[in-house]
Amino acid sequence: MNDTQTTYLSFTEVCLQTGVAEATVVEIVEQGIMEPIGDSPGEWQFSPAMLILTKKAVRLHRDLNVDWAGIALAIELLDEVEQLREKNRYLERRLSRFVDL
Amino acid sequence: MEFKDYYKILGVDSEADNKAIKTAYRKLARKYHPDVSDLHDAESQFKEVAEAYEVLKDSVKRAEYDEIRQYGGPQQEFHPPPDWQPSGSAEGGAGSHYQEDFSDFFSSIFGGAGGAQAGGFNGRQRSGQRGQDIETELPIFLEDTLAEYSKTISYHLPHYDNEGRVTEVNKTLNVKIPAGVADGDRIRLKGQGASGIGESPSGDLYLRIRLVPHPLFDVEGHNLIITLPIAPWEAALGGKVTLPTLSGKIQLTIPANSQSGQRLRIKGKGLPSKQLQGDLYAVLKVVMPTSSNESIKDQWQQLAELSPFDPRAEWSEAS
Repeated sequence: MNDTQTTYLSFTEVCLQTGVAEATVVEIVEQGIMEPIGDSPGEWQFSPAMLILTKKAVRLHRDLNVDWAGIALAIELLDEVEQLREKNRYLERRLSRFVDL
Repeated sequence: MEFKDYYKILGVDSEADNKAIKTAYRKLARKYHPDVSDLHDAESQFKEVAEAYEVLKDSVKRAEYDEIRQYGGPQQEFHPPPDWQPSGSAEGGAGSHYQEDFSDFFSSIFGGAGGAQAGGFNGRQRSGQRGQDIETELPIFLEDTLAEYSKTISYHLPHYDNEGRVTEVNKTLNVKIPAGVADGDRIRLKGQGASGIGESPSGDLYLRIRLVPHPLFDVEGHNLIITLPIAPWEAALGGKVTLPTLSGKIQLTIPANSQSGQRLRIKGKGLPSKQLQGDLYAVLKVVMPTSSNESIKDQWQQLAELSPFDPRAEWSEAS
């Protein structure tokens, strides 16, 4: 996921903008669901894409009743599915230039 | 108002126990959750399921609902019984996070927040809270990614009045799309999302770039690919062809003895990016004429006799 405009957000800003509790954001980082720049919460810098990811992780955790390790796995697999779908769309488009599908 | 058969929505019978209801809900939630499903109506499906579960998992609400269900039934237009008072059981307690989005049917029975206060999938609006972020897709033609491009966009924003009721407002904005945007890029426009309540700041607007498929060019990173049809004799003898690019036509030399599927690189004619300029690749596709005549057939015949070429040489080695 590319951010065209890279303005980074601090830990406090992420919590404020998403309305997600600090402990939850720490949990999401510790599970490796997202990797902000910096070593400690005070130094963390988040990309705008991570804001969206945080909200997605919280929604899944809340609505599907899955623990955080499960959310990490689900998000990884969802990403992979998205990439495979994208690749499949591309290959299908390329192939259709040569043969009738 | 439409009667909602919560048992039917969850696919359980009216005698189902809590465990069966929970299992049914979880299964459907995994299927329809908007973050998981790519069905276009996943969000509304999920809301129905969440609403049904909210009622059926709670023995008090379920009993109230069962009473209504006996009275009205699913066949007819639903009106609450004349002496029915919303119980208020939807208020307080550990309500679902989607409660604000629940149907009028739900609020007519249980009271509490209903359709008029729908907050949208991205969540609730508490007083003093920052406005909601809005994400919307922005389709862009390949031609428009070559240089910075101005585009007028319009999108819907929820607007909250002082009583917390929501209406949808249309907003129009002129945005500058930087040169070299790629499919899936997000452009963040600070403060252009929903307005906050009171003094709180507005949310942001995220534009997610979608490159519109082009009839001639396919995108591979920052490179472009064009499929170039050529005649068998052009492949054999080589030649010059006129090739369209995103920025005008060029002359391209095809080398002799070219193959179908071979890529010819045209430097710098791809898409721009921050660091580099992509290339254009012409992928050759040898095409046979669909009709022939006697004299052409004779020529092919001569060629067939003259050439020792075996296109299936690999097969005879393998067998």
